[in-house]
Amino acid sequence: MALDVGKFIKAPEYDIKIITHRDVFQASACEEDRFGDECQEMSALIVLDAAEMKRMGIQDRANVRLTSNWGSVVVRARASPREEQKGMGFMVNSPWVNTLVSDETTDGIPAFKDIEAKITISKNGITGIQELLLL
Amino acid sequence: MAFAVALLSRTKQYTECPPLMEEDKYQDSRQKLKNILKPMEGAEETGLIIHEELCSGCGNCVVACPVNVANDPHGSGRGFGPTNEKVIFRVENGIVKAANIKECRRFGKDRILCRACIDPCPTEAIEFV
Amino acid sequence: MEMTEPITWTCTGCALLCEDIQVHIKDNKVEKVEHACLKGKARVYGCKHTAISTVDQAEVDINSAISQAAEILEKAKNPLLYGWSNSTSEAQVAGIELAQTLGACIDSTSSFCQGITINEIMNGSIPSCTLEEVREKADVVIYWGADPMSSHPRHLSKYSYFPRGELRQRGYEEDRTAICIDVTQSRTAKICKAMFFSIPPGGDAEFMRALMDGLAGRVPKLSYDFDVKRILELAAVLKKAEFGVIFAGLGLVYSIKEEFDLILEFMSTLNRFSNFSLIPMAGHFNMRGFNHNLHEKTGFIHRVRFTKNGPVSGVEYSVVEQLKHGADAVLVVGSDPLASLPLSIARRLKDIPLILVDPCANLTTRVADVTIPCGASGIEVGGTAVRLDGKKMDISPIVQGDGLSDEMVVRRIMEEVS
Repeated sequence: MALDVGKFIKAPEYDIKIITHRDVFQASACEEDRFGDECQEMSALIVLDAAEMKRMGIQDRANVRLTSNWGSVVVRARASPREEQKGMGFMVNSPWVNTLVSDETTDGIPAFKDIEAKITISKNGITGIQELLLL
Repeated sequence: MAFAVALLSRTKQYTECPPLMEEDKYQDSRQKLKNILKPMEGAEETGLIIHEELCSGCGNCVVACPVNVANDPHGSGRGFGPTNEKVIFRVENGIVKAANIKECRRFGKDRILCRACIDPCPTEAIEFV
Repeated sequence: MEMTEPITWTCTGCALLCEDIQVHIKDNKVEKVEHACLKGKARVYGCKHTAISTVDQAEVDINSAISQAAEILEKAKNPLLYGWSNSTSEAQVAGIELAQTLGACIDSTSSFCQGITINEIMNGSIPSCTLEEVREKADVVIYWGADPMSSHPRHLSKYSYFPRGELRQRGYEEDRTAICIDVTQSRTAKICKAMFFSIPPGGDAEFMRALMDGLAGRVPKLSYDFDVKRILELAAVLKKAEFGVIFAGLGLVYSIKEEFDLILEFMSTLNRFSNFSLIPMAGHFNMRGFNHNLHEKTGFIHRVRFTKNGPVSGVEYSVVEQLKHGADAVLVVGSDPLASLPLSIARRLKDIPLILVDPCANLTTRVADVTIPCGASGIEVGGTAVRLDGKKMDISPIVQGDGLSDEMVVRRIMEEVS
């Protein structure tokens, strides 16, 4: 039997800075049904520069694990249709990205738009909303 | 060539070409044409297509369309929802709908390649084919 | 019943509070909505999962839930009343009264949103104007760290760019210049075309200083790569503006919050050469209303604690600090903190008694000790709200609800505690 070497090699991790933003389609889907598939599909998502994704070996629509000092979550990676600044990832405001946000603030304003995290390919499924509640 | 022009101007359908539809040797061409012309399905007479799934109902086209402005200056022209039925664009249930398409500047003898509804659309939901 | 004539409605989908929405109602249900964007449509049709009265996650009648809520709040030494941005001003005022009765902390989502900007506008340090003035007069608009096409869909069509205005009769291409400063080419940036200025994350303060240099005729310096000529060209556009407006988004506010006085300095520098106002891009429909209502009562816009010596305000009374180490019971009205706050902070809600008042089931209802359903503000419940530019607006209900309003729930709790 051939040895599956791949499973012993840890997928490489890359540093990434995540910036959150709003989206009208996600906001509408989540207003209608916070627990619905559509809300999850549009929320559990990180958009990256296409060339950066290639460099990191992440394919469009692949599942990726995002990990910060405060939490970890599996979301879908999508390539941005335009060139983005290097080392950045964009996520719509949602409970998924909020698992990664630091609790450290000096002014009562969490760093929603300045999230340092690691990104790596994940074989796990996207973290469901019910799972988020257990984190 | 004349048939091709008619196809593109939507005065004829590809199904109106008997050899294409009946002869087996044109089967591949028939399929290719069907695929090529697919985006034109559902297009208005001016070639207008609204991709409803991409529309956020922002109303930029409602306010920017020169026909909307001319026919409803105190409603659409001022940024409000249309106040009469003479407009081309209006938003219903969060998505833009088109009507009075013959008023569009892309229609008729003196038509021009107006882009007033396409350029302000933030989500590329409006297209002319 | 036949379809009735449409009702003119003020939309509570976001803080633009669009007042021209036509809603068709049949049998007390929304049949069709006209002119509202997708967000407004979602709001008017309501949520799929409505909240039910619960205590310890078991269904109870609403009176028992209210009594339990009152008991929790009465027992608590340091209760926090939080949320409020999705409530009418009338409910907010009731909440402020309850906080006073309990000697509680009260805070809203503005605490980590536009509160800092609204505070400076309310105390007169930053000049502002109304959205009507923007429509009638503005010739230069700047979306800075803001993407209204994604957050406030009708912003550009109804007020800031596309409409004909009194002094802007010739159409947007000739009469208005729209500028976007952001870290990515957002949907709004796309509309601004060549007037999109792409800056690195956290690069706002430097860009602002460079722009001030440009205004003053000095050569701007930047630590990051940016074509200085473009900054000088932008400065020239700003100088020539007859009526300019900056729409400040959270991208800008978060980026310079530690040196927020820079915005004040920038506005006064800009206004030595030109005529600019600033409007904060508040999100929830009545976020600004909470700031106005609390200010009227206490002189503070948020983060207030009612003490024996009167109300005090400070970062230690912010929702974030109170959840980290402070509050021993929380009443949430019209918000879903488990979804909208960092989980590292919101997690504590599972450990302390938690009461939620909301029309919809959300993440927070799943862990709440008490849930009290209420009518949806602006749908089943009328009142007033404050638009993102500070204008007070009337909100009429469009359908008849069978539950209590959030104001009534708060007042019922108040009756039981006092």
